[in-house]
Amino acid sequence: MAKVYNWQLGREMDYFYEVVRPKRQFAMIFDTNKCIGCQTCTVACKTTWTAGRGQEYMLWNNVETKPYGYYPLGWDVNILDKLGVQDMTSPVYQGKTLFDAAPDGERVLGYLPDERDYAYPNIGEDDATGLMSQGAFYAAPHMQWMYYLPRICNHCTYAACLGSCPRQSIYKRPEDGIVLLDQDRCRGYRECVKACPYKKVFFNPITRVSEKCIGCYPAVENNRQTQCTITCIGKIRMQGFITTPDKAREDSPMDYIIHIAKVAKPLYPQFGLEPNTYYIPPVHVPPKYLYQMFGWGVEEAINKYRTALEDKKLLGALLLFGASLDIVHSFKVEGNYSIGYDEKGSEIVRVPLREPTHVRIAHDQQHQVYRTNIT
Amino acid sequence: MIQKKVRKFCQGLSSLAILYGLSACPVQAEEAAADPAAFTATQVSEPGPILDPTSPVWERATPVRVEMMAQVTELPHDPDPAVKELEVRAVHNGQYLSLLLRWADPTKDDVLRPDAFGDQVAVQLPIDAENVPSPMMGHKPGGKVNILQWRAAFQHDQDKGEPTIHALYPNAVIDIYPDYVLRATDSRVYSGALGVDNPVSRGRVSPVLDQMAEGWGTLTVKPDQQGDGKGIWQDGMWNVVINLPLATISHNAPRLLPGKETMTAFAVWDGGHGEVGSRKSWSNWLPLKLQRGQP
Repeated sequence: MAKVYNWQLGREMDYFYEVVRPKRQFAMIFDTNKCIGCQTCTVACKTTWTAGRGQEYMLWNNVETKPYGYYPLGWDVNILDKLGVQDMTSPVYQGKTLFDAAPDGERVLGYLPDERDYAYPNIGEDDATGLMSQGAFYAAPHMQWMYYLPRICNHCTYAACLGSCPRQSIYKRPEDGIVLLDQDRCRGYRECVKACPYKKVFFNPITRVSEKCIGCYPAVENNRQTQCTITCIGKIRMQGFITTPDKAREDSPMDYIIHIAKVAKPLYPQFGLEPNTYYIPPVHVPPKYLYQMFGWGVEEAINKYRTALEDKKLLGALLLFGASLDIVHSFKVEGNYSIGYDEKGSEIVRVPLREPTHVRIAHDQQHQVYRTNIT
Repeated sequence: MIQKKVRKFCQGLSSLAILYGLSACPVQAEEAAADPAAFTATQVSEPGPILDPTSPVWERATPVRVEMMAQVTELPHDPDPAVKELEVRAVHNGQYLSLLLRWADPTKDDVLRPDAFGDQVAVQLPIDAENVPSPMMGHKPGGKVNILQWRAAFQHDQDKGEPTIHALYPNAVIDIYPDYVLRATDSRVYSGALGVDNPVSRGRVSPVLDQMAEGWGTLTVKPDQQGDGKGIWQDGMWNVVINLPLATISHNAPRLLPGKETMTAFAVWDGGHGEVGSRKSWSNWLPLKLQRGQP
């Protein structure tokens, strides 16, 4: 075991290998407030990457309804239950990571899902936390709640799949931090399937080795955002690169949202993997629940998000979601526009901070009718 | 010479076993070390590779009991693997060495599913019988071993054909696969490990994988596959034959001669017990003498 620094936990922790951070780190931000659970991303991923034999059940990207949706069944509650109650009362995590909690004879605390756990990809879909009583009416905060959680591989800095493989068949690319599983070297031991707490490594029973999300690396190598990002009709995602907080760049939209505005949070940071997909927490969900899922600072993130209009840079960064097929490496806000640039500094997208409003007269003189939509 | 080396390894293993709270130096290996004649490959006259576990030829070979112990030196491991004992026999015909491995396993695990593992057995031989490396899959640098691994899933491929999604999941609904609409070369990328010819994907030619290792995590399937075999599960017992040529042109294969000694070590995986990779039971080196001339 080596000592590595996990900035999401604010402390050093044990990991199987010495830290070697990539030149840049693949990352994604999801705005859960905008996701409508349409699964366009899921289908885009499926048709692009997992249409083959033995991949029928695989969803490298999926969208589940929280709190009662899971794919595979119970993936997060199962591992939370195994890890037990941990101390998360300060920005420096005092509890155990999955590496700390590894039982004797294991490299990491994990479990192998039952085959049937993969049989219900839509379980809990659109289920809210409870029933509404007779005569109830809408009130804020919501009496019952649910939200959609889109998920891909987190391309973790301290990937448990990578650390658990006795054959070193899984590697993290130095050029972009994408975690890949070597299809030629893998022997199907499924230590990675057991170890990944997000259950984003899948065993292919036809090829008899494991497979995982490849971060659409052929697209990323060509400065194109991933399939799940560019097909998102709700423009809830942005894919790009992040740095560590000490090297945060204010002109990077990813860094600005994650490190400077601190609006997007990692998924289950307490597991200790330093996952690299980030979530803008849903504003209507009780903080207690969000706190467990996204860690320290969720309430501040929600407050900041609610007041994004007051921070033009934050607004500008958020408006770049879904605005470009290409990866936005840097941005700036100029007048009423947020402008995104590619790696070489060429402008690739320009988005107005506020769309112009046109008001039509409610009564149409020519046709002698009242208009129902006047803006 | 070899007896001394076996004692040395056994002593090494004993101290390691004590370190890990175990007392399991294989008794049989020590007995065999004291009496190397105990495990002998009987010379027989049957021609060609001997592959049939039910062949009467095995009645001419003396069975030797090998005590199996848990692999606990490398993570991850299972401190209590299912198979505690292996019965081994060996014959050779001057051209091929053939080993019959038998062990009790109440379940036949030969279908791989996301939560199901397959039964396996392996025999390990040093490349250089004069410089025997660590019994734990050899050592770096230069301690090369040849590992021939039989897989129940590969035997299933040989006997019943390759797995299909409908064989695994009869009610699966499939609308289209990429190769229905794309040319074979274009659809290859959708076939994952099969598309890159990963040798563990299929038992195409034989249920035995012919492999090399030079220490932990280095196990590699050889480009030239010389091993063969056959396994039959009957009445709660696996009966598996692993066969290899006495000598090949390869520098990465053992050169065996009638009248000479070599070493053997074994590993067993009970798929039904969740054993795979380093979660296995294994033995120390056991000397094997190849008989010269007809018995």
